[in-house]
Amino acid sequence: MINYLARRIAISIAILFAVSFAVYLIFAILPFDPAALTCGKSCNDPGIIEANRKRLGYDLPIWTQYVVFLKGLFLGRTFGEGAATIFCPAPSFGYSFQEHACVTNSILEALPVTLSLAIGALVLWLILGVGLGIVAARYRGRAADTGSTIFVLIGTSLPTFLTGLLLLVFVVVKWRILPYPSGNYTPLFENPLEWLNTMILPWITLAFAYAALYTRFVRNAVIETLSEDFIRTARAKGLSEKVVLRKHTLRAALAPLTTMAGLDFAGLLGGAILTEAVFNLPGLGRLSLGAVVDFDLPIIVATTILAATIVIFMNLLVDVLYAFIDPRVRVAA
Amino acid sequence: MFKIKAGSSRRGRRAFSGVVALSLLTGVLVSCSSSSGGAGGTLTFLTNAESWTHADPNRNYTGQHIAWFGSFMHRTLTAYARAEGAAGSEVVPDLATDTGRSSNGNKTWEFTLRDGVKFEDGSDITCEDVKYGVSRTFATDVITDGPTYAISMLDIPSAADGSSVYKGPYKADGNDTAAYDKAVTCSEDNKTITFNLKRAVGDFNYTVTYLSFSPVPKAKDTGDQYDLAPVSSGPYKIEKYKAKDEMVLVRNESWSKDSDPIRNAYPDKIVVRFGVAEEVRDQLILNDSEPAAFSLDAVLPTNLATVFNEDGTPKEEWQGRALNVYDPYVTYTAVNVGKVPCVQIRKALYYARDFAALLQLGGGPAFGGDPADGVIKPLMGLDYKPVTGLEDFKPEGNPEKAQALMAEAKTACPDVYAKATGPGLTFDVGDTDTNKKSATIWIDSVKKNAGINLKFNFIEPGQYYAVVLDPTKQGDLSRAGWGPDWANASTVIPELFLEGAGFPLSRVGKDPAYAEFKQRAEANLFEPDRAKQGAEWAALNQYVMDQMWVIPGVFSKTQEIWGSKLEGIFFWEPQGAPSFGDIKVKS
Amino acid sequence: MSFLEVSDLRVEFPTSDGLVKAVDGVTFTVERGETLAIVGESGSGKTVTNLALMGLLSKRGSRISGSAIMKGDAGNLELIDLADEQMRKIRGKNIAMIFQDPMSSLHPYYTIGDQIIEAHQVHNEVDIEVSTARAIELLEMVGIPDAANRLKAFPHQFSGGMRQRVMIAMALVNSPELLIADEPTTALDVTVQAQILKLLRELQSELKMAIILITHDLGVVAGAADRVNVMYAGKIVESAPVGELYANPLMPYTHGLLASIPRMDRGHGKRLSAIAGQPPSLIALPAGCAFAPRCNFTERVGGGPDRCKSTMPALTEHTPGHFARCHLEGAAL
Repeated sequence: MINYLARRIAISIAILFAVSFAVYLIFAILPFDPAALTCGKSCNDPGIIEANRKRLGYDLPIWTQYVVFLKGLFLGRTFGEGAATIFCPAPSFGYSFQEHACVTNSILEALPVTLSLAIGALVLWLILGVGLGIVAARYRGRAADTGSTIFVLIGTSLPTFLTGLLLLVFVVVKWRILPYPSGNYTPLFENPLEWLNTMILPWITLAFAYAALYTRFVRNAVIETLSEDFIRTARAKGLSEKVVLRKHTLRAALAPLTTMAGLDFAGLLGGAILTEAVFNLPGLGRLSLGAVVDFDLPIIVATTILAATIVIFMNLLVDVLYAFIDPRVRVAA
Repeated sequence: MFKIKAGSSRRGRRAFSGVVALSLLTGVLVSCSSSSGGAGGTLTFLTNAESWTHADPNRNYTGQHIAWFGSFMHRTLTAYARAEGAAGSEVVPDLATDTGRSSNGNKTWEFTLRDGVKFEDGSDITCEDVKYGVSRTFATDVITDGPTYAISMLDIPSAADGSSVYKGPYKADGNDTAAYDKAVTCSEDNKTITFNLKRAVGDFNYTVTYLSFSPVPKAKDTGDQYDLAPVSSGPYKIEKYKAKDEMVLVRNESWSKDSDPIRNAYPDKIVVRFGVAEEVRDQLILNDSEPAAFSLDAVLPTNLATVFNEDGTPKEEWQGRALNVYDPYVTYTAVNVGKVPCVQIRKALYYARDFAALLQLGGGPAFGGDPADGVIKPLMGLDYKPVTGLEDFKPEGNPEKAQALMAEAKTACPDVYAKATGPGLTFDVGDTDTNKKSATIWIDSVKKNAGINLKFNFIEPGQYYAVVLDPTKQGDLSRAGWGPDWANASTVIPELFLEGAGFPLSRVGKDPAYAEFKQRAEANLFEPDRAKQGAEWAALNQYVMDQMWVIPGVFSKTQEIWGSKLEGIFFWEPQGAPSFGDIKVKS
Repeated sequence: MSFLEVSDLRVEFPTSDGLVKAVDGVTFTVERGETLAIVGESGSGKTVTNLALMGLLSKRGSRISGSAIMKGDAGNLELIDLADEQMRKIRGKNIAMIFQDPMSSLHPYYTIGDQIIEAHQVHNEVDIEVSTARAIELLEMVGIPDAANRLKAFPHQFSGGMRQRVMIAMALVNSPELLIADEPTTALDVTVQAQILKLLRELQSELKMAIILITHDLGVVAGAADRVNVMYAGKIVESAPVGELYANPLMPYTHGLLASIPRMDRGHGKRLSAIAGQPPSLIALPAGCAFAPRCNFTERVGGGPDRCKSTMPALTEHTPGHFARCHLEGAAL
């Protein structure tokens, strides 16, 4: 197991280097001139553009630029001269002139927001999705099941953007059930109540869509598992329905959910762009979206690498977790 | 060196402008005379933008931002009067004691600072601070996006690559600081600043209304990061500024009304809430959930009918809470004259397009604006005269006129005719949904009415101007918009059409009509008599339209809404923005 | 009175296509220490009969009538109509069951120790150590070496034959009076089949339990059962002591089943004769003998094929203890 993990981690790191270089290459090939972007949105003076290109090192070959980037990751990097000097300590992903901040700092600021959003939503949708799914499977064909089917239909067809907007416009603006958040994001440890007030609607918005998918998934998985031979065995042993469902059915039915939840969670950590936009949460999604719109190269590179890291390591985590749940995987690993 | 109409950029930026004289077309203005007095309260601004594009005075360029920061935080040597209508276009002293003294044939300008002007830390604002602030404009790799008048006007030589030999205050090696020190000097008492210019600039005291001529204390400068925490010289200072979150301004105790005759500073506190979803932003105001809030962005088209009547006037219950006015912009389609050297074809395009349908896309006449007859807006007063010779214009297109012009073109310029009716003309636009819809209107109407084929080139909006400003990448036609930098068409006609100017999308250098234009336009830049100069700009506007170097679009309009507890708002014409500094919160 | 008396047992499943008569008036008895084999093709009703006895059929999905009285340690019990909770207490304790596929019948996520101990714990209020000792005892009894250590192994770590031994150990952990073995050897190699059947036989004589052996393969019945019930289309069509049935099958269907057993004395190369045709749909059963459409002997019946098609023959005793449901005279085959 240790060997296997070490190998997986080594491969993951190699993939990350490949991803980071690929991102560099892509932006070298794309017909955008980073130098033209640095002298301002409306800059068209070739003299200024060329001077900036030299100053910022965009005239160097892409390989050299990549090496400088890697060096910054381990040693930190200095930008500018004189009073305008900025030092970004390691691990430095560069400096964003759009955000006026070291990229690493921008990401570290956005990460807790996205984490709050993703974790809260995950908990909510797991409770809702798994709960409803089990109830629907247990009372298959009855009112509870029909109700869950309607929920699934609405949840999967309503775009998050709309759910969020409706919640915001009605709950906050029209009915004023919740106060309009004073800031746009309040850290949990600064003011837990305000944090909750800020996050509750985004959680519901995100969880609504995912819970619908999970309800359908769990319902089908439970129904399928209930028809398994080992469930018949459990019943033949004289176990009560409760034990059959909780101990024997759920563990088997929900095992694949680990993979699904893990990857969905990884996807959200890359940024729930729409939800973050509707609720004005300064998370990774908006950071990367803004960076793409502005061609903020250092942020794009960093968020891409971050997203890749998250996906790769969530995969790893899911595999390890799965091995704990399903003993058959342990041996294969 | 120009103000581009930013259109619907992501940051909700609306640019700005200057306007000289009162216009009869000034839409609906709400009077501020009913103010019930009394200062205090918290004034809230709502915006979908994630942050200010810039808060650093040297990097502010859009009219709205200049109006906002100019009202609350950043002072300059001179400023526009805080008044409604034409009176607002008067330049008045701000940090300076007067509106500047010129000598040496308008090549030397002198301003003396008032006594008692201070930064938020209590230190005096000196000539060195203004000089330092202006020097930052030259650090083009750090202090981006701001106007570069200092670079183009100050008497500092250029290096071989065309850039200034002075590179700003951050660079030590190979930087000709002495050249800058020669161009901008301070008096012994550090109170009088002198600007030595390359060429005569008669209205340099308008130029210095730009916040890029604001003072910056050298000790507090952090280069790019000064954008996050600029030091205030105005009535408010930053208590909190966090992108994607909010900005909070509180009173600057070092500021004194005695040394600032133009700022009112009514509210105690000012909050800007960033990143509010567009629909939520509008709903907060439409429901009056935030009665002391002002929306910094344009009203969503779907919400216009809630506030305004069909004719564009505010509904009765919205009187005093909404504005629908002309902004400083003219939209147009620049014809790349070098590639379309045929005035008949250019005119045929003008007459053939279905203008009515295009305007409908932009909100209709009530909200989109009026058909433009040139690049100078009627708001420009002195510089505007209705253009003649366009009497055959019909909003829905005039096929007879267009076809007659095409028949002429067939013999006058057969090559262009063959291209236009064969492979077609290429048309650059930003890649937006609205532009895609307008493209189909253009293609259909121009084909039907003139037999001209169009091929659209959709360009990523963030890259649009970078592409079309590159002559090797620009197509035959390019969408654009322009507003004057200040109330003089010297920031319009020469900027758009002189070779080597700021926004030369029409590429008219090879046109036979260019020689006369060049001679007249350059001469008029130095015309000392403002009335004569205005008349000549109007004549040159007529000249441009006779050649149809651009196909005019609309004199565009903008809409503003705010909560019921706010009053004192009027449209500050020179900045093309609401009078933020005059807003009062009713108690 | 016999240990188990089943009389006129009927199981019907209402479906959207019509009523499926899966078990149609089945009557039989089983004694302690006796093995009754129930033989038939899939769909003949043999498994449903036993699921009905175990109370494992969904009450919502099926209609059950008739009677099944078990005279066991728990007194005289009417298994049909027994309350769920009461049935659960009997299941796994008085009546145990083993299934066809030992891989899918054991829960893949729990160790075999967990599963056997759980079966013991559910019916006995004893310490876990007692149950563990019992599990080891049973594993040794079914011939699993190193039983104490193997408790910690997962099902997938066993071979098919070993898994079935685990299933048997689990079924016998509470010393049931009746063991229902549903195709216990079908999924196993031929040599392993013999071992398992032998094991069952040995355990039966040791524990004095009644066994109902369900199979589609008359071949496995020979050494393993005392008596055979042949089922077809929900009805018992022949019932006889195992030797008598082999020597003297009275029903053409039984004859067909016997003919399809591979036998050493027939020599190689000779094809097995399978019974031509398909079992009838249980929704629209013919009025007469259900086997008639596939029967090669209808011509020999007094009254001809029409009699077979129109009249259902009664289950009649031809020689003492040998019953058959056929219009043919005894020695006609």
